[in-house]
Amino acid sequence: MNKKIALTLLLTASTTAAIAGPIEEQIRFRQSAYSFAAWNVGKIKSQVVDHPETFNKDAVAAAANAIAAVANSGLGALYGEGTDQGVGWKQTRLKPEFFQKKEEVTVAANTFNVAANELAKVAATGDINAIKTQFGKVGESCKGCHDLARIKE
Amino acid sequence: MKVTIHIWDLPLRLFHWLLVAAVPAAYITAKIGGPLIDWHGRIGIFILGLLVFRIFWGFVGSTHARFLTFFPTISRLAAYFKGRWQGIGHNPLGALSVFALLAVLIAQVGTGLFANDDIAYAGPLSGLVDKPLSDQLRGWHNTVFDLLAALLVLHVLAIVFYRCVKKHNLVVPMLTGKKQIAKALATSISANPATGFRAIGLILSLIISCIAMWGVSDGIAYLYHPGQSYQQTAQANPGF
Ligand code: HEM
Ligand code: HEM
Repeated sequence: MNKKIALTLLLTASTTAAIAGPIEEQIRFRQSAYSFAAWNVGKIKSQVVDHPETFNKDAVAAAANAIAAVANSGLGALYGEGTDQGVGWKQTRLKPEFFQKKEEVTVAANTFNVAANELAKVAATGDINAIKTQFGKVGESCKGCHDLARIKE
Repeated sequence: MKVTIHIWDLPLRLFHWLLVAAVPAAYITAKIGGPLIDWHGRIGIFILGLLVFRIFWGFVGSTHARFLTFFPTISRLAAYFKGRWQGIGHNPLGALSVFALLAVLIAQVGTGLFANDDIAYAGPLSGLVDKPLSDQLRGWHNTVFDLLAALLVLHVLAIVFYRCVKKHNLVVPMLTGKKQIAKALATSISANPATGFRAIGLILSLIISCIAMWGVSDGIAYLYHPGQSYQQTAQANPGF
């Protein structure tokens, strides 16, 4: 009986570990998440700022939803202890100070969340000027966190 | 007895004060980021235009704008440190600072053109290099800025030093183009006022400067079609 419990505990522990993933996996997923967000940021930039004549309401709304989905996906789970060292798709650029600056990071991450969800709302209206303004705020929130948490090459 | 002589020509003074306005503007727009990063790029390209203009004006401008007039050779520097240098334009030490500032500014602009911010902006030439190199150049763009900032502080401190300790006002001549010197010195050969200003040289420098700005912002991109990956895939359809 005791053996069974021990085995169950062991299995549970190992699956939990597998869900959290090894360090490299966390790094890889977050690099992918931000790259995917950046692609969608680029779509909006192109259709709203650089070439407004190509503005497509549905495509922009879809891109905004994709950014919001990334923001809402619980990225914090990909910043486990020790993930300031390691190679995902490439060497991580997470600053080691990240783990000492938890409060500032939370503020920066929330700023991004709020801005991204607001952008999704505004994008649904199709008002290009309002989208442009809110889009700028999202860009600022990306930069806010990069300045705080990301190593400059 | 003092006399007033003309040393800095108008194009040189305009270059200087436009640079004084543009560099802080570039800094502020980069630091704030967000939508202003586009303006950072535009201001940066304008600074490129200023630099290209200055380089050509350094050959075809009037006396004290010319690089050869004030090039800090070893013998000029030696004479300066022994207190034997005479002249009215840049002294050899100041000349070193001019060349250093121009070189660092060129590096600043040169790296920025190929850099990207990983968010919503990429320099107009970033499509000519691969992403890791563009990222690396962003890093250098940051490092070079620290160097530039240090040189600018030195530049301003030197001007304050001349003002307060040596009692030379360097700012007024850069504004008016005119410098007051002792009459005794004015008759000496080393106190030559600026001459050799030619409209054709000015027009040529301006044209080359405009070509450079157009070249990086449109011309080269037009020839090579590098594009930004996000622009090529910007029209993704919702769905698949
Ligand atoms: C829409 C907004 C954002 C965009 C467009 C964006 C874009 C990017 C891109 C393209 C990368 C490089 C990925 C790679 O190296 O392959 C990246 C990395 C990174 N971003 Fe962002 N980002 C955004 C928001 C944020 C936020 C809010 C945070 C704060 C938590 C953040 C923190 C980081 C960190 C720490 C890295 C380095 C990841 C690593 O190398 O391990 N980013 N971002
Ligand atoms: C003398 C002219 C320039 C100065 C003084 C300057 C200064 C700066 C500074 C200080 C930053 C860093 C901002 C930060 O810490 O977040 C920066 C970033 C940047 N600059 Fe420039 N820059 C100049 C010219 C250019 C040019 C010509 C371009 C391209 C057309 C350019 C493109 C960029 C880009 C893409 C970034 C973003 C990099 C990042 O996210 O860290 N810059 N610039």
